[in-house]
Amino acid sequence: MLTVILQQGINGVVLGSLYVLVALGLTLIYGVLVQINFAHADIVTLGAFTAYFVTHLFSGNYFAGIAAALIVGAILGWLVNAVIFAPLRERANELLPLIATIGVSITLQNVMLVLLGPIPYAFDTPYSNNVIRFGGIFLTVQNVLIIMMSTIAIGLLYAFMKFTTLGKALRAVSQDRETAALMGINPNQLIMLTFVIASALAGMSGALLGPVRVLTPFAGATVIVKAFAIVIIGGFGNVEGTIIAGLIVGLIESYTTQFLDPGLIDIVVFALLLLMLAVRPTGLIAEKREENV
Amino acid sequence: MVGAILSSRRFWFVMAAIVIGLLPMIFSDSYWRTNLIVCAINVLLAVGLDFVLGYAGQLNLGQSAFYGIGAYVSTLMIMKLGMPFWLAFACGVLVAGLAGMLLSIFAVRLRGHYLAIASLGFAVITYQILLNWISLTQGPLGIYAIPPPPPLRIPGLPAIEFNNLGNLFYLTAGFALLTYMLLDQLVRSPIGETLTAIREDEVSAASLGITCQKWKVLAFAISSAVAGAGGCFYASFVGTLVPDAFFITESFTILAMVIVGGMGTLIGPVLGAILLTVLPELLRGIGDLRLIVYGVSVTLVVLFMPGGIVQAGRRIAARLRRRAAADDTMIRT
Repeated sequence: MLTVILQQGINGVVLGSLYVLVALGLTLIYGVLVQINFAHADIVTLGAFTAYFVTHLFSGNYFAGIAAALIVGAILGWLVNAVIFAPLRERANELLPLIATIGVSITLQNVMLVLLGPIPYAFDTPYSNNVIRFGGIFLTVQNVLIIMMSTIAIGLLYAFMKFTTLGKALRAVSQDRETAALMGINPNQLIMLTFVIASALAGMSGALLGPVRVLTPFAGATVIVKAFAIVIIGGFGNVEGTIIAGLIVGLIESYTTQFLDPGLIDIVVFALLLLMLAVRPTGLIAEKREENV
Repeated sequence: MVGAILSSRRFWFVMAAIVIGLLPMIFSDSYWRTNLIVCAINVLLAVGLDFVLGYAGQLNLGQSAFYGIGAYVSTLMIMKLGMPFWLAFACGVLVAGLAGMLLSIFAVRLRGHYLAIASLGFAVITYQILLNWISLTQGPLGIYAIPPPPPLRIPGLPAIEFNNLGNLFYLTAGFALLTYMLLDQLVRSPIGETLTAIREDEVSAASLGITCQKWKVLAFAISSAVAGAGGCFYASFVGTLVPDAFFITESFTILAMVIVGGMGTLIGPVLGAILLTVLPELLRGIGDLRLIVYGVSVTLVVLFMPGGIVQAGRRIAARLRRRAAADDTMIRT
């Protein structure tokens, strides 16, 4: 029994760290822009496919794949901002960018569907079948890699936000764009930077989740709705809250699969979301933001 | 004189009724008649969403849930309890409306993106319940052989059968037109003005003595009841129900119709629903590419004509009028 609980705990942390990587990008963008980006899901998917093809191209070098996914993600983030969010910014409407990104998302998913087909790709990295055993607990090296890479990425992001001038400027913009502009910060450049960082994270999370989840053109779309739930449970725009909420959702998912029924995962997660919104809409960690509540 | 007729609502409603009457005669094959019915259902869904989104300003992404609730409740009432169609229809609409009121509990406290995600969460939960409550909904296997609405018997006239696609179109389109007329009355009444006031500025509205909560609940209830009616018609028209028809992407499709047509007007969602239903069918020849065209056109509309078809049309009309006026003065001088 204890081994099952521990095993599922580890599985939950693996899933949770993937969710955190996806959700962090969303929350960063929300922090500076107060906008929702549905195309984030497809950057995850494109990251996964980039990693798949590059890994094969470099005869099984998975790290080349991860690096390529990171770069592709960053470029796509820049594009989404330049084409969709920047032109719509002056209209100051919360609905238009959301719908435009739904349009982008439908387009990207179907372009991938035409080019790559609906049949799941078997993305085996050199680490997928490498199993480590502790007593009765099994852990693939791939899963260890997921936890390690996510921890490193999250740590670097955290340090960047806390200690560098650019990171401080970013937080300043997310707290008050007008005042930050008065302090000589160019908000447009920082918004662009946020999109690049957020989408690079999304691309990387795609590269990491490709081998452990079903890799189809809809791989990102299945994760994104949960990522939105995580962002809200953690408090929109709140990095620490998002990390905690992501891990909680990962654990809920693995324990629900083990002890209840896999079909109930989404119901449990979204019931938690609605409960959270009813009881404590500011998220796990109280935020200063008030315009939405 | 002509202008007065053209601007009168009654004239346009009569015209719409005539067009609805003529359509099944022009499109006599079952393929296009099926599309006509889908159009009518989508019009219903789009005007329903527009009421809560465009008039009350509530960012609701849960419309697929109310659509599904209406479809499943009415079907289960007919199939499991043997209820007559119109009673089951009323139940479906009522339960969908009540579900909308349930969601509006969140709308009372939340705004903007929070409401968007909350309503999306509501749609995900509803979809998963439909999928997993197998003893009731038969889950992914679906419910089959749902009967069409019973024949309408008016004394002295031959019975109107609804297993005929043309008559079923008259029923759904007639209901959609009736809903449109009622909503049109509603948005031009003080209630519509109250909702618009809440949309524009909730704090100012409250300071004028408007109880915003009460009106939001009403807007959600009406909007989701309309979607529920769409679901009832969908079930009896298609004859089978599977949860996938009410996946959250359905909410996005309805939203796209409202936006492409023109949010905050009632005629906009009608045009958007017709365009986005017919366009993919016309593009069926290019196969999978049609959804790409769909996605690209939604994106382009938002970027280049954010007011949708209605606003673009108004702008063109204004330009033509100005040109006509300019021509007029040139002739006179």
